[in-house]
Amino acid sequence: MAVAIAVGATVSDFPRLALASFIAMLALPASAATYTVVIAGLGGEPAYEQKFREYAVAVASAAETAAGSSNNVVSLSGGGARAESVKREIKKLAARMNADDAAVVVLIGHGSYDGENYRFNLPGPDLTDTELARLFDELPARDQLIINATSASGAVLERWQKPRRVVITATKSGGERTATRFAQYWAQAVASDAADTNKDQIVTAAEAYAFATNQVEAAFKSETAMATEHARMEGDDAGRFTIARLGSAALAPDNPEVAALLSQRGAIEQDLDRVKGQKASLPENQYYDQLEEVLVRLALLQKEIDSRMGGGGS
Amino acid sequence: MRRQLSIAFILSVFAAAVGAQSIDYDPRRAVELRPCDDQRYRGRTEQARTCYMKLLESNTPIVQAEAAWALGDIKRANEIFRNTVQNNERAVQPRVRWARLFLQTHQYSDAAQVFSEALRVFPNDVHAKLGLAGVYAERFEGQARPLVDEALKVDGDLIEAHLLSASMDLEEGKLEDAGKALDRAMRLVSKEKLPPLEVYALRASLEMSRGNSPDQWVERILDYNPRYGAVYEQLAHFEIMRRRYKEATALLRQAVEVQPDLWSAHAELGSNLLRLGNVEEARTHLQAAYSGDPYSPTTVNSLRLLDRIGEFSVSVDPVTIAQDTYEVQLRLHKKEAEVLRPYVLSLTARSIESFTQRYGFKLREPVTVEMYPDHDDFAVRVAALPGIGLLGVTFGYVVAMDSPSGRAPGDFHWGSTLWHEMAHVFTLEATDHHVPRWLSEGISVFEEWRTGPTPGVAVPPETIAALDKKQFLPIAELDSGFIRPSYPNQVQISYMQSGLVCLFIEQRWGFEQLGVLLRQFDGKRSTAAAIEATFKIAPAAFDKEFDTFVRTRFANVLANFSEWQQQQQTARQALQKERWSDVVEPARRAVALYPENVGGDSAHLMLARALDKLNRRPDAIVALEDYRRAGGWDPTALKELARWLDEAGRASDATDVLVSLNYADPLNAELHSQLGERLLTAGRAEEAFREFQALLALNTLDQAPAHFGMARALRELGDQSGSRRHLLDALATAPHYKPAQALLLQMIEERT
Repeated sequence: MAVAIAVGATVSDFPRLALASFIAMLALPASAATYTVVIAGLGGEPAYEQKFREYAVAVASAAETAAGSSNNVVSLSGGGARAESVKREIKKLAARMNADDAAVVVLIGHGSYDGENYRFNLPGPDLTDTELARLFDELPARDQLIINATSASGAVLERWQKPRRVVITATKSGGERTATRFAQYWAQAVASDAADTNKDQIVTAAEAYAFATNQVEAAFKSETAMATEHARMEGDDAGRFTIARLGSAALAPDNPEVAALLSQRGAIEQDLDRVKGQKASLPENQYYDQLEEVLVRLALLQKEIDSRMGGGGS
Repeated sequence: MRRQLSIAFILSVFAAAVGAQSIDYDPRRAVELRPCDDQRYRGRTEQARTCYMKLLESNTPIVQAEAAWALGDIKRANEIFRNTVQNNERAVQPRVRWARLFLQTHQYSDAAQVFSEALRVFPNDVHAKLGLAGVYAERFEGQARPLVDEALKVDGDLIEAHLLSASMDLEEGKLEDAGKALDRAMRLVSKEKLPPLEVYALRASLEMSRGNSPDQWVERILDYNPRYGAVYEQLAHFEIMRRRYKEATALLRQAVEVQPDLWSAHAELGSNLLRLGNVEEARTHLQAAYSGDPYSPTTVNSLRLLDRIGEFSVSVDPVTIAQDTYEVQLRLHKKEAEVLRPYVLSLTARSIESFTQRYGFKLREPVTVEMYPDHDDFAVRVAALPGIGLLGVTFGYVVAMDSPSGRAPGDFHWGSTLWHEMAHVFTLEATDHHVPRWLSEGISVFEEWRTGPTPGVAVPPETIAALDKKQFLPIAELDSGFIRPSYPNQVQISYMQSGLVCLFIEQRWGFEQLGVLLRQFDGKRSTAAAIEATFKIAPAAFDKEFDTFVRTRFANVLANFSEWQQQQQTARQALQKERWSDVVEPARRAVALYPENVGGDSAHLMLARALDKLNRRPDAIVALEDYRRAGGWDPTALKELARWLDEAGRASDATDVLVSLNYADPLNAELHSQLGERLLTAGRAEEAFREFQALLALNTLDQAPAHFGMARALRELGDQSGSRRHLLDALATAPHYKPAQALLLQMIEERT
């Protein structure tokens, strides 16, 4: 796991991230910043307008907390989310990025697909999948996470694929046209610790995706209704994108000693992964003995980190 | 026309051999067919085949169709009938015969439609009426009887009408009436010199129903036609009606032995073996049935279920009660077995303990409980059984029921269903399956009210309305309300009436007398005789006393049913408009008039909600507690009650309410998580462990809390080694899980 903390902070935001020992363990360069664009499209009716706006607020707020600043986050909704505004804001943000940065784009609302073109429904003219793809391609950031949570979003999955880009769609194809629930659960994933399954107080895109898909499935099941959406994800290592920080992880630890401890923690996590990888080959007792040894080290270290950060157990 | 073409497509070739048809007593049957029929009825298959083959060249299309049908060429028969009907819009007889073909090939809706078409052409055609009655009888629908009576009024010599009437009488336990109908049928058969096989077969069934040996009639039949397996199939049918599945199985084995190509008997034998839990032999017979009749939905669905049998896991656990140990086998779908098993096993054990003690009967064989997430799989198990509940069924020591995952939470209380079915296990086995349907259902409903997971005499408004309209049946005829209902909801109302009869017996003579009555049923005693023997009063007097009892018990609502409806409506309307203070009085009055109504529109629920909105939380709690005591179990309402109780400082009561929810909503991760923590706090570590175990089995995204909970529960229970493993599993899943880290460090410290 040792991958998530990097994205979402510039050097100036998080001096700790400049530490070389920590950088070594990160999948994304620690000097990188994460820029987030959240767009809530046309609701068509007040209830949807309201919901889309709420989801956008939750996602943008989590992005700001993760980044430690609101400067790198753009959120557009309602009348502000016209195609021209979207293009303009994305280009403005692009102008500030460099190749080592990460870009996260979240599209919330209704989409349509006519068999050829996908359209993201906005007030005024819609944006087509081609126009959106062009905007994303023009982003200097190489690491990109695009979440299209709209209906019919599955139509863009293959079209938007690119190296180092992770694309998540709420539906498996353009044929799933019913209003989706995915955005609701994505918003929940970034707003609470429910999606943080490894309890490191950081929600990665991989965790949020697992949470949202799980919740969508459970919702249809509890209603004994046929599922009208099946989310998909393409691209490698969605775990490298941090989309929310919770609790003490949301605090900016500028203490170099803490950063060094976090670096040690990363090394222990690697040991843990190694032991877990041997589970099938080790005798059961030996496996648990080795697991215990690593986990005790990790727990002791975490205790120290918490005391240095002034935080405590949750 | 399009419909007819689609029918033609469905009716493709069957490999049914000559002999699959029953005896055809239709007086309008063409004379040319008679010699061939005679050979067939005598079981001379080859001679019959040769004879019918010649008739395929007949100049009369109907004769050609009948010959093709008799030879098993259903497709050809269908085409000829269809063409004949198309060529003559006024043709009645071809329509009647065509409809009969549908009837034989399990296409009851099509059969009913074509019989109805015939009746539109000629409204007084008795054969079409009789055919339609046959469709209704197959579906155990109440319209069958009036149609037979109508046909007999027009033509008292209709042999088939007498036979159908006798058959229905036998199904409903009206043995005297059946005997009279068979006497009339026999006189007519003798007069017409027709084969007596079906009359004899029903005679055999009558003797069996009277508790006598049917052998003399079986011998006569086999003397007439050594291949007439239908007699055993007929006998088995009535055994199944009485839920005597083992006996039916033995008879069906004989049916296929004397007539190996009797596909319907193979199908029924397969279904019956499944009911008895004999899966492999069931498969053999169902496959045999499918080879001869591939379009029987029951056969196809049963085979599909068997194809997926590997998706179910089977566990066998001993259950010890006092000095005795019983075996409980659970067949649960793999995807939910780990979650459900502890709850199902524990409730089954509780039911065995309760019923053993209450009815003084000890189970003699292992009990099997099967739960089906897919209702269609459950439906296969009850196919062709009348008056069976929609949620569960008991075949002696085998209980099959819907799984809670097959329905939305709130639709289904699996705990009450299992309790109900387990009561059947006892009433059936204690009487060697001779208990009449009404008493078995009555005791099951009564036990739900008295000892089940949702105690409280819950009686729906439909039952009160039926009581008001004097639709309750005399005790001696109560079984017919299950077998052939004559108005909508009669089956459900018969369940309730039977439950109320048991309640009446308990109140009037004491609970012990219910057991005394149960033991009267030894196969030779009718309900009327058993009532007389137990209570020393005539059935009519019993009915009168029962009527007084129910009318007294529900006097309030009966006298004020319109007012109750009005108050309900007023409360509902005020609730919809969120005028909370306007809800309280009408809802309170509705509850006072009719507290037993705990359905979705219960006034208890409206009252509780309004009181809460009016900041009268203590009163709201009382309202929901009353609801629960009356048998209400809606999961949303009970979760709300638990929350209110918590807020009122009654954590222990709240926990008990939440524990009860496991019998309604057992696949709810949030519930298990919450309960695990609460039970752990309350020092109920064993129960807490079960909750965390269920949480883990639900395979939620976040498994660490379940492992951590199990670790803590096991620690409380003194299992240090198990606790350590679950703790390490929790941290392997979530390495930064701080409470688990703290416990790990504490554990290490304690160890050193």
